[in-house]
Amino acid sequence: MSSTGAVADERIRKTSRLRTALVRPELGAIVGVIAVFLFFIVFAGDSGMFNPQGVLNWSTVSAQFVIIAVGACMLMIAGEFDLSVGSMIGFAGMSIAIISVTLAWPVWVAILLTFAICISIGALTGTIVVRTGLPSFIVSLAFLFILRGFTIFFPQTIERRTIIGGISDRAAGDWLAPFFGGKVGGPFFAWLGDQGIIAVFERGTRAGQPVVEGIPMLIVWALLLVVMAHIVLTKTKFGNWVFASGGDAQAARYVGVPVARVKILMFMLTAFCACVFATCQVMEFGSAGADRGLLKEFEAIIAVVIGGALLTGGYGSVIGAALGAIIFGVVQQGLFFAGVESSLFRVFLGVILLFAVILNTYIRRIITGER
Amino acid sequence: MKSVIRKLAVSTIAATGLAAGSAAMAEDLRYVMVSHADDADAWWNVIRNGLALGGEQMDVTVEYRNPPTGDLADMARIIEQAAASAPHGIITTLADPDVLSGPIRAAVDTGIDVIIINSGTPELAREVGALMYIGQPEYDAGFAAGQRAADDGITSFLCVNHYIAQPASSERCQGFADGLGIELGNQMIDSGTDPSEIQNRVMAYLNANPETEAVLTLGPTSADPTIMALDQMGLAGDIYFGTFDLGGDIVQAIRDGVISWGIDQQPFLQAYLPVIVLANYHRFGVLPGNNINSGPGFVTADDLDLVAEMAGEFR
Amino acid sequence: MSETVHAPLVEMRDIEKHFGPVIALNGVSFDVRPGECHCLLGDNGAGKSTFIKTMSGVHKPTRGTILFEGREMNFDSPRDAMIAGIATVYQDLAMIPLMSVTRNFWMGREPVKRLGPFRFMDFKTANTVTMEEMRKMGINLRSPDQAVGTLSGGERQTVAIARAVYFGAKVLILDEPTSALGVRQTANVLSTIDKVRKAGIAVVFITHNVRHALAVGDRFTVLNRGKTLGTAQRGQITPEELQDLMAGGQEMVALEGSLGGTV
Repeated sequence: MSSTGAVADERIRKTSRLRTALVRPELGAIVGVIAVFLFFIVFAGDSGMFNPQGVLNWSTVSAQFVIIAVGACMLMIAGEFDLSVGSMIGFAGMSIAIISVTLAWPVWVAILLTFAICISIGALTGTIVVRTGLPSFIVSLAFLFILRGFTIFFPQTIERRTIIGGISDRAAGDWLAPFFGGKVGGPFFAWLGDQGIIAVFERGTRAGQPVVEGIPMLIVWALLLVVMAHIVLTKTKFGNWVFASGGDAQAARYVGVPVARVKILMFMLTAFCACVFATCQVMEFGSAGADRGLLKEFEAIIAVVIGGALLTGGYGSVIGAALGAIIFGVVQQGLFFAGVESSLFRVFLGVILLFAVILNTYIRRIITGER
Repeated sequence: MKSVIRKLAVSTIAATGLAAGSAAMAEDLRYVMVSHADDADAWWNVIRNGLALGGEQMDVTVEYRNPPTGDLADMARIIEQAAASAPHGIITTLADPDVLSGPIRAAVDTGIDVIIINSGTPELAREVGALMYIGQPEYDAGFAAGQRAADDGITSFLCVNHYIAQPASSERCQGFADGLGIELGNQMIDSGTDPSEIQNRVMAYLNANPETEAVLTLGPTSADPTIMALDQMGLAGDIYFGTFDLGGDIVQAIRDGVISWGIDQQPFLQAYLPVIVLANYHRFGVLPGNNINSGPGFVTADDLDLVAEMAGEFR
Repeated sequence: MSETVHAPLVEMRDIEKHFGPVIALNGVSFDVRPGECHCLLGDNGAGKSTFIKTMSGVHKPTRGTILFEGREMNFDSPRDAMIAGIATVYQDLAMIPLMSVTRNFWMGREPVKRLGPFRFMDFKTANTVTMEEMRKMGINLRSPDQAVGTLSGGERQTVAIARAVYFGAKVLILDEPTSALGVRQTANVLSTIDKVRKAGIAVVFITHNVRHALAVGDRFTVLNRGKTLGTAQRGQITPEELQDLMAGGQEMVALEGSLGGTV
């Protein structure tokens, strides 16, 4: 950065390299993650939270949040919201259940068809938002009700109940199902169990097998989505368009960024993420319920905001959102290990959200120089 | 940066206070109850009181956990988490066997004793490897209520279902219909959980179907607004009205003659007994030989005084 | 850069633009040549914005012809005009404050490098070019990652101008670039305009500030009530005359007298 000719503005302070390295959207979330882990190591260190079973538990819950937070984050950076994520989770799960159990089609068909349906609904939401210029808040709120309504109506009409089970039996031997409900690293964990490094079942039909038998695909999906989304957002042309569409749609249009297409694609990504969430859940538990995914849209948005994204769009980070989701998951599960009354979870959540938003506002002011 | 550090310090101090408050009671035996109820469900207060009393009397640590939104998939995670914290026993409901049996079985297999309460059946409890089932079989209770109503000459009814997403709720309505010997058909409505919505939907249904002879509600959440709806329509005391579960307003309505009977599954026992059973089992190795039915018990105007006194607390 | 210095790059003949019953432009003629700064002056509501938008392809003229490099052109969108080489720097800049200078500079035309089957944005090239182009315009960036929001108003104008020039603008339309700036920043932007003109680019400089226009302009056209009131060469007109023309003639003289000086 040698200066030739031009006069540098003497009022711009020299900033230290450390400060530059620290000041980024994820900073608040990084600080939060460290604080949260320190807290639980101190107060729940010997409670089982950090044994393999405990780690798997909060990692799985965090991974769930991460999956929907990735979609919500990209969409929020592109300047839009999707409040229908929670309903979409319920809807997607029910769709898989009805197609595979009621219609008795193969599970892989059910999964692929459901993905197609959900992504189309995402595209529809996005198209309505882009075409009408209505706030996505309202449009997706409409879909929140529409999808939840159908999720109760269809099983109630077809099966006379609101929970459809038996998917596990249908999924046995299916080639696609293990990509969502399976576990990886089984032999490794079995070896760990044999060596006495991790706990094994003491009784029952699985006695001698390790309690933690592998890493759920849910976690693999979460990692995959974070890495992919992060690369797309920060390293590609399209990522630049996402920032531009959310930062100032008009300015982006002036220079030829296809803002409408970018936004619709992000709505589709959000729907895809909700669908991944739902499919993993259905394949793991073997049933779909009409009440699945309630309020998940807010949990996703909270994770994204903790992660440093700006509610008005154009600013944020997938890594930050993922860290926000981890904070959310670890706090939710960790309070239990620490023996805190469960109703205080919301108090904690509110406090963390408030701190995160204040901290993030402060960081953003440093970055952008706004006063 | 300084303010960042300050904020952290403040939050840590705040957190410390909370944790210290609730971790005070350290005991040799520790039991965790996991319910499927969302935070707002008032009925579970009796369960919490029963649990606390059991813990106090037996001098053991008890904890109560529930999924904040009532999402059963979240509940499965809570059970897994409870198992990871290695308590001596877990007391849980079996609201959806598909979702919950895996985690419960895993807990059993790691050496934790489990008692199933409330939702579920003795058969399911045995299947997942639980010690016993303490509760009121939903379909049977609905069926018994239906038979009672049939004896009173009822041939049609409205079932106000405020938690339709759970299979147990429909089983109550189905059992009632079968007890009456009629088809359930469209006589069950999804009322939602908002009091004014429930009230309006009940009024709308009864206006549209004036020939309806009876109303069945599934708990205080749907019963309280239904009482108000009947009051407004001038049907209170006229239409045959039965309800599952008890609560302050329901007891008053039974006294007033608006509600003919309440089915008491005696939730107190569902929380209190498991603690007693588990503690005695772990201390002295004694265990009752069978499942325990906590209900159904029909509460009518005749046996109200004690119920009224304890309603919402232990009844 | 065109060698035929005297042939107009863009020529607009008798442009009329009606919005329903409202006649926004009523026969405007205007041309700009390579390497010249042609100032378009006019008071608020004179039709300047409509005129620029017609020139940059946002609006289609109701009547009249637009010649670009001697050929008649019909732009369907701003994108068409931009591809042809007509770049517009709007008053609100089309800059996104939360994004870095590099990301803003390359927005919509990101350089791409291949890595196996994947295509990534080439940040190394992008950063180097951005720093270099900004340096040419006389601005030293702390870092190409710096958010545009940290730049001053004048610097932001310069980024926008540098961007347009780098991407091969032959005609640069500047919509009131100095209206919201302080004295020193205005001087910086005016010197940028001068640099751009010397590079052989045709500059259309829209302003309502006579002094700013006279500082860099080669020719001056005054727009009033949707009509051109004539074009003057540099040195043929005094600031006072220009001011009067803009305000529509005599009333201004009277007003100025009562205020005791030049407005």
